[in-house]
Amino acid sequence: MTAAAVRGAPSSALAGLCAALLDLPDDEAAAVASGVEALAGRLPVAARLALRAGVGAAGVAAVSLTGRRLAGLDPDRRARLVAVLGSHPRTADLVDLVKVPVLLAHGARAAAPELAARLTVPPVRPDGDLDVTPSPWWPSRSVADVVVVGSGAGGAVVARALARAGASVVVVEEGRRFGVEEFRTRGTLERFGDLYRDGGATVALGRPPVILPVGRGVGGTTLVNSGTCYRTPPGVLVRWRDEHGVDLADPARFGPVLDEIEAMLAVAPVPDAVMGGNGRTALRGAAALGWSAHPLVRNAPGCAGMCQCAVGCPTNAKFGVHLNALPDACRAGARIVSEARVEAVMHGGGRATGVRLRRPDGSVAEILAASVVVAAGATETPPLLRRSGLGRHPSLGRHLAVHPAVSTAGWFEDPVDATRGVLQSVGVDELHRSAGILIEATATPPGMGSMVLPGAGRALADQLDRSDHLATLGAMIADAPAGRVVGSRHAVLRYDLTPRDGQRLVAAIGAMGRVLLAAGATAVVTGIRGHETVADEGALEEALAHADPARLHVAAFHPTGTAAMGGDPDRHPVDEAGRLRGVVGVWVADASVLPTCPEVNPQMTIMALAASIATGVGDGGPAR
Amino acid sequence: MATPMRFTEAMEGSWHPIGPGPAPGDGVPGGPLGFEVAVELPEPVRPLGTVHGTLVGTVHARGLAVRAPATGTIEISPLEHRRVRYVLDFVGDDGTPFRFDGWKSIRWRRVASTWTTLPGTITVAGGAAAGTAIGTATVWFAWRDAPSLVASVRLGPPRRQPGPAALAARRWDGRPGRLEVWYDTFTDPATGAGFWLHHEVVAPDDPGQPVQAHGWAAAFPPDGPPVWERFGPGAPGEGPGFEAGGVVSGETARTGEAGEITWDLEVAGGGPPLWTFPAATWRREVLPGAQIVPRPAARYRGTVTVGDHPYRLDGVPGATARIYGHGNAERWGWLHADLGDGDVLEIVAATPRRPGLDRLPPLPMVRLRLGGRDWPSSPWSALAFHARLGLPTWTVSGRWGRRRLQVTVTQPADRCVRVGYRDPDGATATCTNTERARARVLVERRTPTAWAVEGEWDLDGTAHAEIGSRP
Repeated sequence: MTAAAVRGAPSSALAGLCAALLDLPDDEAAAVASGVEALAGRLPVAARLALRAGVGAAGVAAVSLTGRRLAGLDPDRRARLVAVLGSHPRTADLVDLVKVPVLLAHGARAAAPELAARLTVPPVRPDGDLDVTPSPWWPSRSVADVVVVGSGAGGAVVARALARAGASVVVVEEGRRFGVEEFRTRGTLERFGDLYRDGGATVALGRPPVILPVGRGVGGTTLVNSGTCYRTPPGVLVRWRDEHGVDLADPARFGPVLDEIEAMLAVAPVPDAVMGGNGRTALRGAAALGWSAHPLVRNAPGCAGMCQCAVGCPTNAKFGVHLNALPDACRAGARIVSEARVEAVMHGGGRATGVRLRRPDGSVAEILAASVVVAAGATETPPLLRRSGLGRHPSLGRHLAVHPAVSTAGWFEDPVDATRGVLQSVGVDELHRSAGILIEATATPPGMGSMVLPGAGRALADQLDRSDHLATLGAMIADAPAGRVVGSRHAVLRYDLTPRDGQRLVAAIGAMGRVLLAAGATAVVTGIRGHETVADEGALEEALAHADPARLHVAAFHPTGTAAMGGDPDRHPVDEAGRLRGVVGVWVADASVLPTCPEVNPQMTIMALAASIATGVGDGGPAR
Repeated sequence: MATPMRFTEAMEGSWHPIGPGPAPGDGVPGGPLGFEVAVELPEPVRPLGTVHGTLVGTVHARGLAVRAPATGTIEISPLEHRRVRYVLDFVGDDGTPFRFDGWKSIRWRRVASTWTTLPGTITVAGGAAAGTAIGTATVWFAWRDAPSLVASVRLGPPRRQPGPAALAARRWDGRPGRLEVWYDTFTDPATGAGFWLHHEVVAPDDPGQPVQAHGWAAAFPPDGPPVWERFGPGAPGEGPGFEAGGVVSGETARTGEAGEITWDLEVAGGGPPLWTFPAATWRREVLPGAQIVPRPAARYRGTVTVGDHPYRLDGVPGATARIYGHGNAERWGWLHADLGDGDVLEIVAATPRRPGLDRLPPLPMVRLRLGGRDWPSSPWSALAFHARLGLPTWTVSGRWGRRRLQVTVTQPADRCVRVGYRDPDGATATCTNTERARARVLVERRTPTAWAVEGEWDLDGTAHAEIGSRP
């Protein structure tokens, strides 16, 4: 907020739009607009321009409809403006686009006092003992046995295994270190802007566009995930072993590795005490339908239900890799360089020789190493390999599966208090085996995720006032690998939702609606245009029949497959042991290697694959 | 068969400390850092491949080592890895072993700057803190050093140079019009007396004239005028060294009698020969004449008797030198300065007698041996120095590569002898010589910001110098 104040007052058009969207008094609208501007500063150019275009278009609409500028509208005219904008399909899309950051900024502001009041719980554990050197203090020339690119789920596990095996390991991380003190003192909106790549505005272009927030920091996306731990389904492992030739995915071999990861993460089911109203609602609804549901298993020993997983746990209860694998690695001698973007993996004569990284000031440093493990994430690994001249395989960047998610919410007479309790607490897996639909009770803060409350103006404001009566569910579907990561300087994502997956998303909305209605919801928010709120099964069926998948609000959090591992050199850029083909000494050990969507939250799968791949790093042989 | 390749390279820059260590304000602040190394590659640089070689030289880093010997390895891989990597190990002044590990990262779009910029890291190489990085350094190659680097390139295996014993052997093969000299100069530090023994064989241009072997001995007492006496002429002996009329200059023996001066000495040691003129010009008659110093820092033991005054010399410092050519120069200046600890400065500045060339200023051949390394390594450096010859004071100064040299020699008249020379063609010259000259030597090294004094000597009465002029 300070930065915005230094920049000067936000554009009054934006403040006017915030006032219109959320029916706010002027001073509150100005504060919310400040928050939006601050967040906009973190966005990539395209997203910033889109936001400005949205505000500009709203301004034009204001003038043409009311004869006055957006900033100078009185409440009545504002209400008229949003009603008109909301009624036309094109402008409704525009309104939804602008609503997301506005809801985020408003929600952060509104929740701040309560979050501060609840922060009487001290941290469950201190920050991990890490050897982190920000890149300005890292020498321009250094040498290691292994360089690991990325300190997330995959990179941290590899670093730990190799450091314990006696190798000198340097982990290069693009983001910075975050500590629990920061999560306890800074506002959620600011944390959101810092913890996510591009301010959380990574979008896979397509119909519908899929918003794909990616974490960035020491600890990677495990800093901001919900902490849900699923063992890889046996069916998925068998498919990887048999259809893709990944021998280490054989359940008999992979099971013990998953056991070790579970032990490292100290997983346990969500305790009743912190379950929260959102999870209990989901359990109630599933029980009423006779559907299989259970508390989720999570890596969060000591969780107090602060419901801030998505912006960093303020009690360090969520046991991300920055609290277990990375400290283990550093204890064994690994070193972490932060705020360093790897420009290229260096190689010569067909062998890896190290990495070249760029500091924030533009200067370059080089680390020589005979082995390089790339774990930059499914969206960043392909561009990195292309920049390095190692991206020739035709399948690199392709076969992106995102595990798309839609959200449905239910209104209840009694308060649900979704934000008092675990953010992602219960899994309803009734339709998982049969249809690949995994429903999880997820109380994401407004604007963060795929739930966009319908309407604008007074209608939206009323809903926000009553949001403690809202229970939210999310559903992910095991999708076909219909996406691509293109680009080498910056990742550009494309995702073309297949018709079958589109229908499954619609079916998922139906399933979630039925759970909520069975739990006693008086109305269900579907996210389907034209049928945003339904009150009973009949209306729900009607809404589903008219649902257009291309116009759903879809988010995704589990990108995989862009450097798939497997036994076929033509299909798989990475071999079945994790070695990148075409060069000696480069491994890939992140979500990119998963040959297909894992069908569940993937952090354990990624970590177990990374642990298996790590056993082969340094063997010096070429990929088969 | 691969051809070995050698060259010398110097790079200068600075370093600063990093990493955990003493509290800010304590400890080493960093500062200038540079190295000068002789690079030896088993084969010439391979543009498409990688060549590994060895480095031997010296490193200086303020706060770590004033001037430490360094050894290490070099990896040159212009296209394959686009890298030239230097690893140098040296021991700091406090005994800590350090390693500098850095590489040039070649970017062909900016080849000029990336080929001359070498960032590196300094780590502790041994002991309890082994592996800890203590500093980062960046050194640069200055383009003005390029001529000296190029001039230092040698292809082929290092030629085995003859040792001092072999160089004592007679070079003259019997042809007319040649002059060959064996001479010794030494100083007794106990008394301050200087001595000069000069033996020469003159084969006149006219083959009908007899070959003369003669010489002289000179003593320069600290109190009183110098004394000198000739011996010979006679026929030269058949032995490998010089022998005539009872005067012998062999591998290690120096005996003889000239007037009231008698001497019976043995010379030992001296270090590797100092090639004032390149060895190639000694082996082959490329130039009108050449001078070399087979024993630049030798020890003389024995007795020299001047009249009735014996000088007992027990390992006094001096040098044995040799000259061979068509005769003496048109004009010349010569300095031998013993700087101590095996360090020596030898200068021969001469104007040749060839028609046309005799109008040129004297061309100084300078050879400075410091810490066992001889500089300059290239004979072309003579073009970088200028000599102003005259009496009683003459100077030589110049700059070559990273060093600047200023020498001022003073030969007080009351300490000099004037000796008449005769060339094979009959021309005469006069040599004003003293083995009790004063020489002030200043050697400076270029750092990125200024000239730093590398060494400064004032030899008051222990320098050996002469000026030769015609007629």
